[in-house]
This record gives sequence, structure tokens and C-alpha cells, in this order.
Amino acid sequence: MEAISEKAVTRLEDALGKENVYPDNPHRAVRAAVPSPFPVCHWEEHIPDIVVLPKTTEEVVEIMKIANEFKIPVVPRAGATGLADGAVPMRKGILLDIKRMDEILEIDDVNMTATVQPGLGMLELNKTLSRIGLFYPDDPASYPCSIIGGRIGSGGWSLMGSGYGHVPDLVISMEVVLPTGKVIRVGGGGGRKIRKSSVGYRLKDLFIGHSGTLGVTTEATLDLCKKPEAECPAYFGTGSFEESHDLALALERLGLKTMTAVVIFDNEKIEFLRRDDEAYIPQPKEVVSVVLALLYGSEGEVLAARKQVFETAVDKMKATYLGDEIAKGDWASRHDRYHITYHGRNAAGEVSMMSWHCEDAAIVHSELPYVRKKWHEIVKRYKREYDGYFDDWGMFMYTSNPFKAYGDYLTEVDIGVNELEMTPEIWQAFIKMKSEIAAVALEAGGSISTCHGGTRPGDVELACHQELAEGSFDLMKDIKKLLDPNNIMNPGKYLLDEAYQ
Amino acid sequence: MSEVYISKKSFYDTPLGDDKAVVPEMRRDCYAVFACRHKFCRDVCPVYFETRDETTGSYGLHTSILGMAEGHVALSDLQDTITMCLECGACELRCPNSLYTGDFYGQSTTLVDLVRKVRRDLIAQGTPPANWDAVQKYIDQDLEKENGPSDALVKWADDLDLPNAGETMLFVDYFNAGQTTDVPRNAVKILKAAGIRFGILDKPYPTLGELYESDKEKWMVYAAQNIDALAKAGAKTVILVNPHDYIFFVREYPKYFNLPFDVVYITDYLLSLFEAGKITLKNELPINATYHDPCSLNKHVLNWEAPRTLIEAIPGISYKADDHIRQWDYCCGNGLNSFKRLKPDVSYKIGLRRFSMAEEVGAEQLIVACPHCLDQFTEVKAKSGSSLEPVHILELIAKSMGID
Repeated sequence: MEAISEKAVTRLEDALGKENVYPDNPHRAVRAAVPSPFPVCHWEEHIPDIVVLPKTTEEVVEIMKIANEFKIPVVPRAGATGLADGAVPMRKGILLDIKRMDEILEIDDVNMTATVQPGLGMLELNKTLSRIGLFYPDDPASYPCSIIGGRIGSGGWSLMGSGYGHVPDLVISMEVVLPTGKVIRVGGGGGRKIRKSSVGYRLKDLFIGHSGTLGVTTEATLDLCKKPEAECPAYFGTGSFEESHDLALALERLGLKTMTAVVIFDNEKIEFLRRDDEAYIPQPKEVVSVVLALLYGSEGEVLAARKQVFETAVDKMKATYLGDEIAKGDWASRHDRYHITYHGRNAAGEVSMMSWHCEDAAIVHSELPYVRKKWHEIVKRYKREYDGYFDDWGMFMYTSNPFKAYGDYLTEVDIGVNELEMTPEIWQAFIKMKSEIAAVALEAGGSISTCHGGTRPGDVELACHQELAEGSFDLMKDIKKLLDPNNIMNPGKYLLDEAYQ
Repeated sequence: MSEVYISKKSFYDTPLGDDKAVVPEMRRDCYAVFACRHKFCRDVCPVYFETRDETTGSYGLHTSILGMAEGHVALSDLQDTITMCLECGACELRCPNSLYTGDFYGQSTTLVDLVRKVRRDLIAQGTPPANWDAVQKYIDQDLEKENGPSDALVKWADDLDLPNAGETMLFVDYFNAGQTTDVPRNAVKILKAAGIRFGILDKPYPTLGELYESDKEKWMVYAAQNIDALAKAGAKTVILVNPHDYIFFVREYPKYFNLPFDVVYITDYLLSLFEAGKITLKNELPINATYHDPCSLNKHVLNWEAPRTLIEAIPGISYKADDHIRQWDYCCGNGLNSFKRLKPDVSYKIGLRRFSMAEEVGAEQLIVACPHCLDQFTEVKAKSGSSLEPVHILELIAKSMGID
């Protein structure tokens, strides 16, 4: 690959209009990072050569053709709120920012679909849908600022996925521009609104969660729901993680259709939240760990389910209901509960500015205690060794089985990372820590990521060479080379460069 | 006014420049926004809704300056992107650094101050924001008024027979005095009808925000003159009729001066008169309306109740408006200071979007509480041909009181 030439820039300007092509430093430098840990000392390596903001499928096709002709990498970027490095340029090149493709093309309230361009924000879509009592039930932690195309590219996970499904379940069909510039449609079946068909290969899933390595989604038809009449987030305090783990199983076993999520907050998470009571509703000392049961449905359904949940949690399992205040306050504010940099602490308890980082894995219920024990051991060891650079911010575990709140859990450990003072040596230590964390997930029979993808250094080697070792990674390489002969789409991700060696 | 609204980061006093290092405190402060990277600030930014460009706004600017500290961006690279801020303050409200913890760590995000600083620093090093000439021309015109005959500045009140002293003083800025004269005139008529004894300055001094973000020292000289003139006039309470000036009096003047008087915005003052029974809203106004919160009041000082209470008290009015939190996402498009002159096309689009929201709720009149919103919406109406009618809240109150 070579740096972008003046000729290529002119071609891009001719195709998109000069006002949609940005060669300046601020536009490029701002688009080097996403929320996953970003060592400031390595910034230069990730600054794209040029930023483009197309508005139409045709313009995306033109970008692909130019990139192929000049052999320039193309890195798609949507909300850039993903916790994998999906939108981080690894080989510079053209940063294709899709945020100007933000039209709602159709809302069909009979067949319950919305067809949109990929640069539309989910909050923007739901503001429109709420006027007719509908909603698009994808709910990532970054909901207010995440964008449809990024959700598709990263194969996002939803906080309410155990009730309403995750992105692969919610995207009915898509228009995709392949790396060669060819435009295809993939979906459940023939028409763009057909959810289930048995014709052909299930190709839609190939273009969900590929982290921008196989093309760019330029239009998507999404599955809509009626806005639920009632919502009940019920928080219960317990005396230990083990009690919470047992309570979660009892709640799962109720078999309630209204159960949209069961979430466990472990001891370290509660301790972390107590660091700054202004950021959390204070809880009595006896509350060591917390379980959330989240119910959505009609009023009658939620009322009946709530009764069963309380009988199980309070009467049977002796947990403490934490009150309506936290139900309203904490769940309603879930999207804002990002950890601010000043919540980081060194060993002496002093503020040490740190960025929030989340390591996630898919783990079955029975293995949660093992993973939790191992992960905290790892993070605490690094925290001790690199005082002021890393911090243990506790764990969350959310049910993640689509449409069924039982079985496997998105399991995350939150880690404070001091990016600003990071040296290349400490960055290597961080990567090693990640690798150890990922290895525990595999030991427990899990996947190293439920929602963030396995594209980051520290993850990617285990993802490709262990988790996907039984032929999957080899097939991924074959597919990549078939669809992207010049390796222009987001090169450097998922070790797919190996396909071209 | 609570101290909570007055922010001052002393490291903002150190100039940025193409050949200058970014001080460590500034680097850390910018990192505190960059570290978030979820960019909740982006999706409340009225400029972003039009441009879809994340380079601007709180995340974009803080990241650019962090990039400056790391050697990837130069100050002069910001000539274009620094124009893309209304200074509306929505991003500050939405920033996780203060949303849940207040100023617990003494580190709340201050994008508005930063934008003003960067514009000043760009001008100081001879690389002004793009299209700054249009702003400078406006500043020069305003300052010419100060140099001209002082009676021109109070001509709007010629027939109103107001003293130039008193314990209560109505401060009328150059914009209201020259362009939206009905606003201060209605204020005077309402106050008089309520039996309030008050005066106006025989010569007010400039308060222009465009000057504040280009030549702070000169702006401060005028600020001192305003404070001095009001004090000499015997002011114990100063009523403002322009919310842009109001937030200068309560957020900026106290950074540099002690104010020997209380400052109150006209709608708060009128609400207190209404509640004391000194104002009677008797005439029915059978209009179908909505209300637009001025960013200066709603976002900068969280002042949103008084205009709503007064509007709801007008007999016969059919009124429907988004709550003040939802209006964090809005702006009329004028912005607080230079934006409209720097980016007239984006300004118009933002105004048009706000118009369409008002039309969507079925409103025929769009009530404002700010002369700049009135001016902007009047322009949007003329350009777009919309039938929506912008109207200042003081005009409705005067009508309902039966004042001609």
C-alpha cells in the first residue's frame, strides 16, 4: 500500500464534491480513535490520509473503485462508539465516514419495518418512531450516540437483546457495497421485508459483525416493535456474588417471556460505584452485590411477572429490594453511566485519570464464578504492578441469549486505563493483560467477545488462532480474498492480511 | 446567581499558537473529554445535526487541541472548524464529566469558554477564524455607536419618559436599542403598568459577545464602564432584556469584577410581579403557540420555568412545547456570538429545522424570550415563506395586560 496520491484525492473530490472530502489535520486526527483503549503515544500511526463523507450508495461505489484502482485502504466509520478497534485505521488510507447517509427512507407500520441509510443515529430513528408508538429495540450502552451502520458492522449486542433480539435478529435485509464496488442485497429472503426464507445461503450474517472488512452497508431494513406499555427494572441487593449468581439462576428459571434481562453487579462493581456516591444512588453496607431483573411488556404481563420475580427474589432467595428510586433513576440513566476519567484511583486512593475500558466475553451461566475469580486476579495483579496505570472497576454480567433470558451471559470486567501517560512498554503490558483475560474466556468454554469483536491486539491472536481454529478462520481468509482481492477494506483487522501472503 | 455557573480555568489564559506548547493542564483537561470517546456531546449539538461532522463540537475541539499537544494539529488548522460552534452550551450539559458528579472533581467541561479562547488566540496570531471579516465588520459598527452621539443609544425610549437613575435599572443593550426596539419598549410599558419605578442608563456601553471572543481586554473595559455607570445610577437591581447580556452579567462579569447590584432577567422579574398580583393577564389571546427556550437561559443558567409559567397564565392561549431538556438539542441558529456571521448557511438550516418542529406540533406562533431568537426566526420566516409567526413573550404579556 502507498500513501494517498494527489490524483486519488482529485478523483475523490470529483466523485463526492470537494465539500465532502477533508484532507486537513483536525478532520483526520479526530478520526484516529474509538472508545477502546488508545495509547496517545501511538496516535500518529492511526491517522487516516483523508476523510470522506459520502451521501449515497453511488458515491460509496465510486470510493471503492478509486480505492481499488489506487490500492488505498478504506476504513468505514459510523458513530465510532464501538469498543473494538473496528473503525481505527491500521494502515491509514481513506476514512469513509457514513454519518451523512442519514435518511429514513421508509417507515412501514403495517409490516413493522423501517428502511434507513446507515448513518442514521438510533436515537434519531426512535424519536421519529415514537410518534407512532413504535420503536427499534436495539439498545447498546452507547445508545444516544450509536449509529445503525456501526451497529451492523460491529455485530452489536443489545442490553435488551434477551427480550427483543440483537442486531443480527433485528436487521431484516441490507444493501451492501462490496470492496470491488459491486452492490448486492442480502437478507432473509427475496423481498427486503422478508424475515424468514429457506432459499440460498444465509449470507446476511456474513455482513454483520465483519468490522468493516467485507464492505459497507449502504441501506438497511430493520424490524420494528410496538413500544412496550410497561417497564419494570427491579434491583435486588444480596450479601455476596455467590448469592447473586444463585438468584440470577432462579430468575432465569421462571421462564418469563417478559424477562428482558437479568444483570449481575459483582462486589467490586458495587465498591467502585461507591467511590463517588454522587454518581450512584447510595446503598446500605449490607448490599455487597446486586441483581437486576428487567421486565418489559403489557401492564398485565409485567404486573404478573413482577409478582413472581418478587416472590422469588425476596421471599424465597432473601434478597433485598432496593426500592423504586433506583429502579427509576439507575435504569433510566443506564446510557449515561460511563465512568469518567476522574474515577480512576492509584494504590494510595488518589485520583489518577483513566479511560474506561471494558473487556467482554460470552460465558455460560455455570462458568461465571470461575471467570470472575480469574479475571479479578489478573486485573488486580496488573493494577499492583503498574500503579496508577490500571484499575479494577468491577464486573457486570448480562443475559445475552437472544429472546431468552437464560444460558449465556455477556460478562465484562471494567478496567481503568491511563492512556495519556501510557508508554509503549506499558501498552505492551496492557495487551498481555488482555490476552490473559481472553484466554480465561476460552478456558471456560466461552467466546472472547459477545459484543465488541475480537479485532484488538491481545484478542485477535486468540480469536483467530484458537477460538476460530477449527476451520473457521481459514474459511474467513478465503472469503475475504474472494470478496476483497486487493485487501482494501479495513486491512490489518482480524489478521486477515494472512490471506494475501 | 450561584457560583456554580461561573467557570474559570486559569490555564485558558495561556495563549495557544502554532509555535507554542500546550500547557500540561490544558492537555489533561482536553484528554478528560477525549477519554470519553462516546461523544454524548455530539448528538445534542445543533450544528452536528446539520453537518454530521464530528470534527466540531466538544469532543472534536478538545481532541484537536489534545492533538495539538501531541504534535498532530496546529492552531491555524482550526480556522475552519472553530467556526462551527453556536456556543449554545448543550454539550457541556451532556458531558459525563459533570452530568452525574456535578463539579465534584472541579473539572467540568467548559467548551464555550474554550471556543472563545481559541477564536481569540487565532486572531491574536493573525490566522483568524474563516470568514471573520464579516464578524469584525459587525463589531466595528457596534463600536461606532459607542463613539457616536449617546442619545442615539436611547432613542428607542424617547417618548417613554424614563429617568437615568434609580434603585432598579433596566439595562438595554445595543442590539435591543437598535434592532428589536419593541422588546425594551414592551418591557418598559409592562413595568410601568405594574407600578415599578426604574430608570435606564443615559449611555450604556457595548456588551457585544463578538468583541468578547476577539478582544477580551476591550470588552472588559466596557464591562467595567457598564458596572460603574449602573452603580453610579444607584442600581440595587438591574433587569436585563437580552438573555445574552444576562449571562454575561451573571457568568462573565463576576469572573473579573464585583457587582454591587443584583441581576435579574426580565421574565423572572415579571413572574415575581405576576405572583405578587402586580401584573394581571386579563385579555384572552386565542392563539395556537409553542415556546422556544433561548440557549443562553435554558442551557447556560438552567432558567426555563418563568417564561413557561407566564405563557400558561395567558387566558385563551393554546400552548404546547417540548420540555426544557428536549430543547437542549435545539437552537434558533443564531448562536450566542459570532456563529451566524461565520456560518450563515448552517445558521439558516438550524433555524429551519426548529421551524419545522414548531410546525409539527401545529403551532401558528413561535414564542421567544430573546431578541436574537426573534431576529433569527424573522429572517427564517422571510426566507422560507413559512406561515409560522415568531413573537416575543413581552409582546404577548403586554397584549394580555391590555397595553397598547
